[in-house]
Amino acid sequence: MQLMIPHPGHFPALKEIIEVKEAEGLNEVGEVFMGGSPEVMGSGRGVLHAPLIDEIKAQTEYAHQHGIKMHIVMNSTCTGAHHLTFEGYKMFKWYFNELNKADVDGVIVAEPYLVELLREFPMKTIVSVLSYVESPQRAKFFEELGADVLTVDTNINRHFDVLKAIVKAVNCEVKLIVNEGCLYRCPFRYSHYNLASHLSSLNQPRFPLFAPDFYYDKCINIRLRDPTQITKSGWIRPEDLKEYEAIGINTFKLSGRTKAVNWIIDCMRSYSHRSFKGNLLELLDCPQLLRDMFYMDNDKFDGAIEHWKKCRKVCGECGYCNELTKEALTIIK
Amino acid sequence: MKEELGASRRKLEGELRNLVGNIFVPEVKVFGMACGCVGYAADLRGLQSDDVDVFKAKINAILSELSKSVGVEPEFIYARKLPGSEEVVTLTARELCERCKREFAGSKASPRPDIVVLKKRR
Repeated sequence: MQLMIPHPGHFPALKEIIEVKEAEGLNEVGEVFMGGSPEVMGSGRGVLHAPLIDEIKAQTEYAHQHGIKMHIVMNSTCTGAHHLTFEGYKMFKWYFNELNKADVDGVIVAEPYLVELLREFPMKTIVSVLSYVESPQRAKFFEELGADVLTVDTNINRHFDVLKAIVKAVNCEVKLIVNEGCLYRCPFRYSHYNLASHLSSLNQPRFPLFAPDFYYDKCINIRLRDPTQITKSGWIRPEDLKEYEAIGINTFKLSGRTKAVNWIIDCMRSYSHRSFKGNLLELLDCPQLLRDMFYMDNDKFDGAIEHWKKCRKVCGECGYCNELTKEALTIIK
Repeated sequence: MKEELGASRRKLEGELRNLVGNIFVPEVKVFGMACGCVGYAADLRGLQSDDVDVFKAKINAILSELSKSVGVEPEFIYARKLPGSEEVVTLTARELCERCKREFAGSKASPRPDIVVLKKRR
């Protein structure tokens, strides 16, 4: 098993993450990822740091000294077609070249055009979860475009039949995000990431927004009214990683590069140890806010993976997640 | 409390103007979070992270005094920058819950790249 760890972007955070990994012998940790420059491109998450190339180079060098690979996230889902202009083309090509000179190991992209452009560079092309790879067909498309790694859509984290088919269909590495708690088949997913892509870039809306985080607020409200939606999300418990290894998926990514360093380190420990005691919501990147509202006892989810492995996801005919939620979730007083 | 908050907004704005120049403090507030943290926060415009570096001790003293005036013990004082820039948009003094003592204030590094830690009670 190999883990890819989120890095908030500032150098002291990288040092602290690596210090803990080494002090505690967390040998599964082999890669980190952080956002690139918002002047070049936004990303699917808020950008809290804008590293210049020199800083990326210094951090990459430090990571390499400690046996860790460094990846840069450029997974905006909307560039406003800038990439298809001559100016945009030249800028992306220049930036990829600079990242390559900085010895970066991989670039995480969502835009198919950039997947193809990255073929010209030796860095790994890592297809983002925001390319929504959710079928063998789409996986194959991206592999043919040049992907070295596919981060598959978290919507299929519990569709074992599809995951197995993807692993069989492609030769490239298949990676899963384990602690994203987004709504299963979320109706806001595309719109939300398009909005985040613009807000985290220089390509901002022309007028102030009356609801800058509309989709997030909707998402939290839905889960408050129907906590079963939290259970149905595609998160993977640390204890269940072995089920994915059994079908040929050995690399896992933690989400959370906008979170506090110590939260990231706690998650890194739990997934490295494949074990966690307590409120499952403590592990989830989103909806982290709800960890102060609900307690989801991780122990109560022992064995649930066996149901989800063969689940047809026809919730109206099943009710398993409803019952499980009643048993596992309590409201924090 | 209403009087203290209004006075603290004026005082903070005045003190920062004396130190730095044209600073605007549109809002100060006292907050309580679900985790158990309570705090005093001031939104501001015109301040940059260099100013915070230079006047760190003075800003700490002002924030400590103002947060105490509204009943908040200033255990952790920090500035929040506009992500990816050097513009400081909030100064906060926070009395931390047990979890945030470890998770938010417990790392050697700043918890996030947009946070500049000004004071941490160990």
